[in-house]
Amino acid sequence: MTEAMRALTKGPMLRRLIFFLLVSLTTLLALGLLVSVFQTGGFSPMELLLLLLYTILMAWISISFWTALMGFFTLLFGRDRWAISQRSASSDSAALPRTAILMPIYNEDSERVFAGLHAIHQSLAETGQLENFDFFILSDTRDPDVWVEEELRWQDMVQALDGKGRIFYRNRPENTERKSGNLEDFCVRWGSQYRYMIVLDADSIMQGSTLVEMTRLMECHPQVALLQTPPVPVNRESLFARILQFAGSIYGRMFTAGLNYWQLGESNYWGHNAIIRVQPFMDHCGLPRLPGREPFGGSILSHDFVEAALLRRAGWEVWLAYDLIGSYEEIPPTLIDYAKRDRRWCQGNLQHLRLALAHGFNGLSRLHFLMGVMSYLASPLWLLFLIATGVEAFIQTRQETIYFFGENWIPVWPVSFAVEMTTVLLVTLTMLFLPKLLALLLLLKDSRLRRDYGGMFAATLSVILETVFSVLTAPVLMLFQTKFVVAILLRRAVGWPPQQRGDHMTSFKEAALAHGGHTLTGIVVGVLSYYYVPTFFWWFTPVLLGLLLSIPVSMLSSSIALGRKAKELGLFLTPEETEPPPVLCYLEEHLQENEPVLPVLWDKPTSRFLQALTDPYVNALHLSLLPETESPGKRRRHYLEGLIHQLEEEGPGGLSATQKRDLISDPDTLLRLHALFWSRPPINAGMLP
Amino acid sequence: MDRAQVNTGEHYLAPLTPAPSHDALLGRLGAYWRALGVSDPKQIAALSEQALRRLPDHAESTDLLTAALLAARELLDDWLARTLDLPRQPRVLAAARAALLNGTIPNWPAVLFTPPDDAARDVADDLRVALAEAVPASVPGAMPTQRIELFSLLHPLHRGSRQDASSSSGMSHS
Repeated sequence: MTEAMRALTKGPMLRRLIFFLLVSLTTLLALGLLVSVFQTGGFSPMELLLLLLYTILMAWISISFWTALMGFFTLLFGRDRWAISQRSASSDSAALPRTAILMPIYNEDSERVFAGLHAIHQSLAETGQLENFDFFILSDTRDPDVWVEEELRWQDMVQALDGKGRIFYRNRPENTERKSGNLEDFCVRWGSQYRYMIVLDADSIMQGSTLVEMTRLMECHPQVALLQTPPVPVNRESLFARILQFAGSIYGRMFTAGLNYWQLGESNYWGHNAIIRVQPFMDHCGLPRLPGREPFGGSILSHDFVEAALLRRAGWEVWLAYDLIGSYEEIPPTLIDYAKRDRRWCQGNLQHLRLALAHGFNGLSRLHFLMGVMSYLASPLWLLFLIATGVEAFIQTRQETIYFFGENWIPVWPVSFAVEMTTVLLVTLTMLFLPKLLALLLLLKDSRLRRDYGGMFAATLSVILETVFSVLTAPVLMLFQTKFVVAILLRRAVGWPPQQRGDHMTSFKEAALAHGGHTLTGIVVGVLSYYYVPTFFWWFTPVLLGLLLSIPVSMLSSSIALGRKAKELGLFLTPEETEPPPVLCYLEEHLQENEPVLPVLWDKPTSRFLQALTDPYVNALHLSLLPETESPGKRRRHYLEGLIHQLEEEGPGGLSATQKRDLISDPDTLLRLHALFWSRPPINAGMLP
Repeated sequence: MDRAQVNTGEHYLAPLTPAPSHDALLGRLGAYWRALGVSDPKQIAALSEQALRRLPDHAESTDLLTAALLAARELLDDWLARTLDLPRQPRVLAAARAALLNGTIPNWPAVLFTPPDDAARDVADDLRVALAEAVPASVPGAMPTQRIELFSLLHPLHRGSRQDASSSSGMSHS
């Protein structure tokens, strides 16, 4: 073994040893303080429960805290010598291999999806490396109107960018195994023609130079199968999203640097904005179905963690390129949309509970699984902890203090544990809030970064306000996530609803429906604790306040006007807002100007489905893009025949989205309907001459 | 589906005309040719007549108006297949039709009426360039399903006996 190799294996081990030692010691220290409070008079079952919950939660907070601290020192000293980008021997002149840029989509806003791809394409063209990259729009869209819109937008992009043979589109007839199945379908059909694939999400944006650098890094490190970039949240204007963007940006850079510090080549995959070596992915990432039924069995939902674990199991390295900038994503615009996204992710992450103990996975892969589980399980555990604390406080208030024992006339004063309890609280709060302070300290080091965050005063004020906001929303998210976890544990499967990604305001009705229960919980718990455990009530006020104000906070934070006002005041600014990178400017331009090449896109008809039946061009394009399938059997033909008659009689309003999709999925039916609509135009529609 | 929104009083599409007049047929065909981008009335008339001459091929299977429109599309497809030397497959011909109608060759109807010459060949070349290529040629590869052995307290006892049974599914819950 060479000296360099020895150093490589020793470095990660030492880092992890330090990291886990710190996490363990911190947890034990905090636990020791609590034990010292409880141990007098022995442990009651309630106290044992509190200790158990506190240990789990403290370990969870410790991991986060020490990760942030390691990230802080990494950024403070400027670089991590073990980072994959630092170990690069890349040459700018070396030819790049063919790389596929994949964008899996599912009923998304087509205009935004293609504007994003257009921006990435433009940015990539500026690097002079465009010819080495092919774009694949991998659609799993089921909505017939969105499907046709996607086809038109794709064709428009191909024509506008002269992208024939470089920009591809396909819609899967069946969306088997969802996103992982979508990617698998790509790999099986075309994967062998590419050395790398860069996986994006529908709202991903990546700078061209970043894409090129990712490919170069992979070329320099043949043992690496996956390189994840940290996607920075951008582009939203609502107050909620801008606060999250700010937090994700200013704290996120510290956390990702910290994660890289102790994970190095055993990092994780977050599902998008990552480059993957295709062959090992094909060899080792064919996902099985988990035994049993949903929610724990069936398809693996959060496939990314599992794919990273499978690659690690096969001996490949997985890295987080924490210092690679130019990787962006968009986040949900409102608190309710954020919770909806959580609902989708929650089931997938809880599934990982079964995988954490599966045979053959590496230790860190297991930890990634457990961290994924804890992202959601932490909420019910916190809730349980709060309830247990309240009950324990209530029990304490019921116990009469005895000052005189037996014949002893000297009073025995009750021992006060105020110092220990305050220390426990302070340790916990420090671990939660110190990373925010450290992130601010990092700004002192870098004047440009300080300016990008709006200056030291504005950044400090933003951190304070963000902290208040996160304190207010944390109890709401805790109840949301607890509800999701309970629903899943009761085997009530979570659906796969498409996200509402664009900025939009939360109405009172929507907020009341979503948060009515939270408000009521706040009132009931507040009254009960005030009357029965008044000392506990005052400790509990931050949680109660969050619940009581959930409706106005949810509504106000969804406001785009407030988000813009905060921006004007220099609050929650991020570097991407202060000085937008070119690729984000391109996206904005494409969304604003939006001048399609295809005339058919100049107008927005009420139904693209009907347009596929009536417009000769749309009809021809759609038909040409249908996959080669076997002719439908007799039963299927009868079914389609029935749908045609239904359409003739009732119009498109009488058909479900699935039925419409069935009609335009069959070539013969499509041609027949086209002729039918032209020979017998709709009576009242006025759509045909 | 909201059935209340469905108009049950009259059909959505116009009622079937059992024996449409020649003028009615020409009228519908004319509208269709115009939608395809043919604006010259003489060309429309000539194309419509050609389509009507093909009617006996279709008239038995469907109503006359629909048959006339199918014949019009077939007329166009024939020309495209000849000009571009394409196989007569619905998707291939649809791709050619889409290329013709996407606006890249604005004067295409004129070429229909000219004998094969350089101009027609140029149009054919332009059409080939404009043909959509949705996906590259497939080069099938394999992505074998991985085996994941889930944890069980009885694992050591069952490991041997389960190996055979679970090898086909790729997933073992031992």
